[in-house]
Amino acid sequence: MLAYIVRRLLWLPVLLIIVSFITFALGYYGPADPIVALMGQNYDPEVAAQLAHEYGLDQPFGVQYLKYLERVARLDFGESIKYRNQPVLRLLIPRLAVTIQLNVASSFIGVSVGIAVGVIAALRRGELIDRLVVFGVVFGRAVPVFVAGPILLFLFARTIPVLPPGGWDGIFSRSAVMPVLLLSIGPMAVFARQTRAGMLEVMGQDYIRTARAKGLHEMTVVTVHALRNALIPLLTILGFLLGSLVEGTFLTETIFGIPGIGQFAFEALGGRDYPVIITVTLLVAVAYALGNLWADLLYGVVDPRIRQA
Amino acid sequence: MTTVLEVRGLKTQFFTQDGVVQAVNGISYDLNEGETLGIVGESGCGKSVSVMSLMRLIPMPPGKIVGGEALFEGVDLMKISDDEMRSVRGNKIAMIFQDPMTSLNPVLTIGRQVGEALELHMGMSKSEARQRTIELLEMVGIPSAADRVDDYPHQFSGGMRQRVMIAMGLSCNPQILIADEPTTALDVTIQAQIVDLVKKLRDEIGMAIIWITHDLGVVAGLADRVAVMYAGFFVEEAGVKDLYGDPRHPYTIGLLGSLPRLDAERGRRLVSIEGLPPDLIALPEGCPFYARCNYRIDRCETENPPLRLVAPNHRVACWIDVTTAQPTR
Ligand SMILES: Nc1ncnc2c1ncn2[C@@H]1O[C@H](COP(=O)(O)OP(=O)(O)O)[C@@H](O)[C@H]1O
Ligand code: SF4
Ligand SMILES: [Mg+2]
Repeated sequence: MLAYIVRRLLWLPVLLIIVSFITFALGYYGPADPIVALMGQNYDPEVAAQLAHEYGLDQPFGVQYLKYLERVARLDFGESIKYRNQPVLRLLIPRLAVTIQLNVASSFIGVSVGIAVGVIAALRRGELIDRLVVFGVVFGRAVPVFVAGPILLFLFARTIPVLPPGGWDGIFSRSAVMPVLLLSIGPMAVFARQTRAGMLEVMGQDYIRTARAKGLHEMTVVTVHALRNALIPLLTILGFLLGSLVEGTFLTETIFGIPGIGQFAFEALGGRDYPVIITVTLLVAVAYALGNLWADLLYGVVDPRIRQA
Repeated sequence: MTTVLEVRGLKTQFFTQDGVVQAVNGISYDLNEGETLGIVGESGCGKSVSVMSLMRLIPMPPGKIVGGEALFEGVDLMKISDDEMRSVRGNKIAMIFQDPMTSLNPVLTIGRQVGEALELHMGMSKSEARQRTIELLEMVGIPSAADRVDDYPHQFSGGMRQRVMIAMGLSCNPQILIADEPTTALDVTIQAQIVDLVKKLRDEIGMAIIWITHDLGVVAGLADRVAVMYAGFFVEEAGVKDLYGDPRHPYTIGLLGSLPRLDAERGRRLVSIEGLPPDLIALPEGCPFYARCNYRIDRCETENPPLRLVAPNHRVACWIDVTTAQPTR
């Protein structure tokens, strides 16, 4: 197990170098010129050349990339082109804080509500509540964020105006309700579906019969003997959860005008702000890698058969 | 001799999409203190369902106990509340199952799984339960029990897991231990060890046992009395010597004929009963064994024979007397 963790951790920097190289290359050979984007209508070739020189954009690819790597190693992610002379890192940190709050709240709600709903559906298999859950899951998975978002806005900001249509006053404000709800739909649907399937399978296992034959209360049978087994396969979809959150975050932050990483990246894409784009991409890759590592470690904690392997 | 369990007319059915599965069709028997009753029959004849019904562990739906009583300590187990039933399960009546590989929870330690019943029924603290679990594991012959109590099921072999199940079953000193084919999934040498262990523990503890098997050979050396089950009915019930020495039901005779015997003539083919048991969804009106019976008479096709006493402690459900009748086909 320890060797496995170490091996996984050693892979992390390799992965990051590969990701940074690909993004950097895409940006370098990409069709758009950041200086053009920056200057817009005031374009002047002389000034443009000067700016390009200032940012080191006139140097060969290899040189630019190596310089970049060396700076990244010192946690210097360069300066934003759009926000002139502002270090990317300084721009990033407050936005990252917003995004992390949004995602933690959404995954917490999505996962816990999803699991609870899945357990109830499985225990009430075939009854009305189970059918509602199954329908809700299909619905929740079929409707994309960019459709559900405007629907929510229309319902709760216009028709019954109880919530602000956008902006951000912190995670514990009313402005967070809709975005958190929106972002939690995906994980909620997936966890409800998987928990239901897992519980249905586990409740039919021999060891559940053994637990009942011991005289345990049904509540104990479900929570102690069944749930743990049913949740093990769910850990494999934690990686997926991360993917859905990353995707959802970009859209949600853009729809609700939330000053997080998603909106920042969206803006950077429009402005061809390479240093920002590359840094955000790296960040997402790190999040993915750590998320999957975390899921694997949890697997080991929950399943003794893997822990000892 | 006191009777610890009186089963009367127990009847369990499953209401499925294909129809009503008549799994147990009104069986009656007594179990005496310290006695071992073997229930023998082919796979699917309702052995498991009959004992799971006693414990009220039939999945409902689709299952339903449609009739009968089971008197234990003066109360009918079929009528008591769920809470009262739970206080019987694992405490006064314990059960061990066929497949030790799947009957233990893979994510909980052995100590936890055995200790659970002790905490629940005996009111022990965690540490008392742990101490007692170690003693129980030693009692069932698990080497270095104190070290193994924190291990998980996958770290034990099949035979060792069945020993754990036995320790769990006996943890609260039950009056009755129900063993549903506990050796079927094990290989022959391990089977013999488990049977010997149960015999030894029975002599020490004195619980009554209901031992279910499809193998007449296994119960021969273990049971005091044997009941033969067919299509959800008891068709013969007798003391172990009588059943083996003087079988009176054509089905029992067929089963015994198909047992490999050490003293059989070399080269003699084993007799096996031709045909299949009836479909429990469409049970015939008459004797359930009619289609396969070599002694059948016309009456058998329309009337199902009740169990009747043919000798002291020997009951048979058959219209004819095999000691005098000749095979009719
Ligand atoms: N949950 C169930 N649903 C439908 N039929 C069942 C169920 N459990 C058992 N049965 C049926 O009841 C009959 C008796 O089964 P069982 O008692 O398990 O046989 P065995 O003698 O092998 O232990 C079988 O025909 C089986 O198909
Ligand atoms: S009652 Fe008839 S069919 Fe049934 S076992 Fe006896 S002889 Fe055979
Ligand atoms: Mg069975």
